[in-house]
Amino acid sequence: MKENIWSRMLNLDRRWIFLFIGVVCIVPFFFPFGLPVLPTAHVISIFDYVENLGPENAIFVSFDFDPGTDPENMPMAVAVTRHAFSRHIPVFFTANAPLAQGMLESGLAYITNPALEGYFHVVSWQEWAQYRDQGITERDQLEAAWEADGNVLPANSSGWVFEGRDFAKLGYLPYFSLVILGMTSSIASQYPEDMNGNPLVEMPMLQEHKSLRDVDLAATFSGTAACTWWITYGREKIGLPVAFGVTAVSATDYTIFIQSGQLIGQMGGLRGAAEYEVLLQNAGYFDKPDRAFIGMDVQNAAHLLILFFIVLGNIAYFAGGFHKKGALLKGRR
Amino acid sequence: MKRTVPLMIVLVGGVLMIIQYFIPHRISQDIFDNYTIWVPIIGAFALALGVGSLTRLHGHKVRNKAPNWPYSLAVLLPIYLMPIFAFFVPVSFGGGMDEPGFYHFAFMHIQVPIQSTMFSILAFYIASAAFRAFRAKSVLATILLLTAVIVMMGQVPIGELLGSWFPKLGLWIIDFPNNAAKRAIGLGVGFGILATQLKIIFGVERNWLGGAGE
Amino acid sequence: MTRILPLLLLILTALAAAQTVEQEQQPIPAEPEIAEASAEEVLDIPPGDISPLAGVDLTAPGDITVMDHPDDSGDRLIVSFSPGSEAEYADLFAAYIIYRRPAGGSDEEWTNVGVMPVGEGTQFVDGYDPDFPVNIGESYEYRVSALYLDETEVMGEPVIAQEVASGQWFHQGKVRVLVACLIFLGLIFYFFSRARMGATMYLRPIAGIEAIDEAIGRATEMGKPILYVPGLSDISDVATIASLTILGRVARKVAEYQTSLIVPNRDPIVYTVAEEAVKQAYLEAGRPDSYDPNSVFFLTQSQFAFVAGVNGIMMREKPATNFYLGMFWAESLILAETGSLSGAIQIAGTDAVTQLPFFITTCDYTLIGEELYAASAYLSREPMQMGSIKGLDSCKAILMVFITAGALMSIMDLLAGTQTLSWLKNIVTTQIVD
Repeated sequence: MKENIWSRMLNLDRRWIFLFIGVVCIVPFFFPFGLPVLPTAHVISIFDYVENLGPENAIFVSFDFDPGTDPENMPMAVAVTRHAFSRHIPVFFTANAPLAQGMLESGLAYITNPALEGYFHVVSWQEWAQYRDQGITERDQLEAAWEADGNVLPANSSGWVFEGRDFAKLGYLPYFSLVILGMTSSIASQYPEDMNGNPLVEMPMLQEHKSLRDVDLAATFSGTAACTWWITYGREKIGLPVAFGVTAVSATDYTIFIQSGQLIGQMGGLRGAAEYEVLLQNAGYFDKPDRAFIGMDVQNAAHLLILFFIVLGNIAYFAGGFHKKGALLKGRR
Repeated sequence: MKRTVPLMIVLVGGVLMIIQYFIPHRISQDIFDNYTIWVPIIGAFALALGVGSLTRLHGHKVRNKAPNWPYSLAVLLPIYLMPIFAFFVPVSFGGGMDEPGFYHFAFMHIQVPIQSTMFSILAFYIASAAFRAFRAKSVLATILLLTAVIVMMGQVPIGELLGSWFPKLGLWIIDFPNNAAKRAIGLGVGFGILATQLKIIFGVERNWLGGAGE
Repeated sequence: MTRILPLLLLILTALAAAQTVEQEQQPIPAEPEIAEASAEEVLDIPPGDISPLAGVDLTAPGDITVMDHPDDSGDRLIVSFSPGSEAEYADLFAAYIIYRRPAGGSDEEWTNVGVMPVGEGTQFVDGYDPDFPVNIGESYEYRVSALYLDETEVMGEPVIAQEVASGQWFHQGKVRVLVACLIFLGLIFYFFSRARMGATMYLRPIAGIEAIDEAIGRATEMGKPILYVPGLSDISDVATIASLTILGRVARKVAEYQTSLIVPNRDPIVYTVAEEAVKQAYLEAGRPDSYDPNSVFFLTQSQFAFVAGVNGIMMREKPATNFYLGMFWAESLILAETGSLSGAIQIAGTDAVTQLPFFITTCDYTLIGEELYAASAYLSREPMQMGSIKGLDSCKAILMVFITAGALMSIMDLLAGTQTLSWLKNIVTTQIVD
């Protein structure tokens, strides 16, 4: 077939596409557009559900992802955790793989990093031992007693989080699907200690929420199908409400669970996380959205570029008359 | 004998687990609990075998200076060094990115970026695949193309600026036509799983035991 | 909210107080020491004022009936009771507290086994709390108290449970599942037996499966290896098992053709099974000496590290044929596109629907959904295997009848305002929550 501009355009070397994608992914970091993100029904339903919970409830936030999908899954997990911490909802943190435990550590380190605006100030299990000994374990009383002893919340902090009262780091256990199954009877039977070796059974949040039956939501963030374990062993066995945060490429896999009522809602990719961040901002929890929102500029630019390439390919296809010839040059190289 | 014993174990175990599903009695639960205890134990032993296999493969390449043997070294060193660092320099809570300790440093500043980079390659490949695949070659291909554009634009704020119907229509496409097709495939898959399981339990399918089953 | 907070406070403190009672083996106090926040605080009663319930003759909850929980392993009891004065003083009522002791036990043995906040009805399932398990066959005694916001706890009379907990040998809620299983299993076995009796069965050709032999031959001609990725999931995933069955057949052909095979694994158990399958295939092909123990190996459990490893193999070893059969997730396109770049002929197969478009775009042949499960039967052409495909198709036919009926009924409901769809739904669906 004779080479012309249309055939060259149609057989564009993929490395050009890679180069352009690379450029449009970098530029928005320097020149952000900050276009508004409108939350969709699947994300709003998760937000509203968490919004209706309080210190008397408890949720699971499960970091079920590898470092690979960190850019998509981490902002979701961070957003839900920050929401729960803001509302003083006790959070059990779990991980489905050894590396996922690293992501859990990393996510918590980000949320509790004093260098960042709006961070949550951690009071470790050991630090508030004396209050426990005095029988002060109720959330508001504990905070009042803690502050009465001269502890002042830093100006850039969103609030205190007491380990064992507001959160417990359960971490990773092998064959996590079976761990979920075991936790439907008793959390402590699976996790006698937390990740740092603290006795879980002594933690007030565990005494109030002994099994998954006493838990009001499991939010799982995953780059694989590991999230469905929570449906199989949690939702279907004991009726545990479940919410998903999944990568954009897998998002359409799980919308059937929303329709069937097995899933409260789902965050798909960076967009889902950005929507949650916007909802947090709109509800007045934080002044500005977080990392996912910033990343949306890159998505905007990349989507437009992909659209441009699709249009370009079709123009070349028709203008070059390939639709008549019935033979399309192979676009591989 | 080498075949019969595993097949018997599979038959008895498989039938037992099917029956167990319908029996809530304590005895039945105990059988299931025992099964759940055995799975991680077998997994732990298999992991040791897995690491052994990787060591044997790459050790062999390094010893024989096989082509690209430095890559093998790059596999072997972290496998054994990371647990050593993790054991001697444990990770503690808080401190963000400035956490001391080599394990944490290697995890946060080597492993996470490398793996995230691998995932980010997807963006490049998707662009390239979309360019090649989305051509209006026929009526069906045109419908696919338009659907893809609507869903894609519905996912980003720029689509919302162009028209608020973009995200709504995108979500509708995901929720209905997409789910209908998914369910159709899913039901077929479900029965495929059922038939495969039965073939294995009743020994019709023996390939997983090795060979072509004759 | 203002009402919920004090209520919550009371419930939590009641729980804590009751558990202290249990730990210290003390009888229930006549006047429970509950309050951190006083009734005056929670009800906005000025200090010194008298509680609205002072001097009121309150009736305790009563008529306790205890039944064995159906369809369980014998670790639960259902405690029902009738309310006392709570309806009358609904604004002041906080929660019911359920106490249990072994029948005929002492007062010290009363244990708080549950708190039911206002609005949760008058039926309690005992046995969910892992700290206070219900034992099979043991007789218990129950009493229920009503806790009011002003700390008043009105204690009901103890009642010996009418029933003891016992395990059942069949879950009544799973009858429909059993019926469906029997129908589907019956159909599959029927076609197994027909196949065994020699009935001829036609299977439509699937290009991807027919291309497998051709792809192995191509690699042999080119003198390059074959890469076989059995998915990224674990052995409990049936897609992985289906992939391993195909691997057995591919390995046998590979052994016959004397081509080299590379099988990287993400799961250690899958690795051991894959290794055994390949080794056995070489043995059956009569070439055990050609088997390379380094051809099947474990790579890593990390999703994208595995992809990086496999991509590296593709770029360095340049396999002539790549098989991706099994379960794949977000990494599918990265694998297949790299394989395409390396110039290999690629055959993929997965039941992960969202990854199918990526494989279809980048691979030469793709097995869609159940085709992956059918591949083994196609490759072997064994009568029993073919029978399983026919059985599977007949199961699908039944389902299609239900789906069509459901669609028609839902249209009819829409047009005529009838409720026929819910009738069908009731027949075919079942809610099983333990």
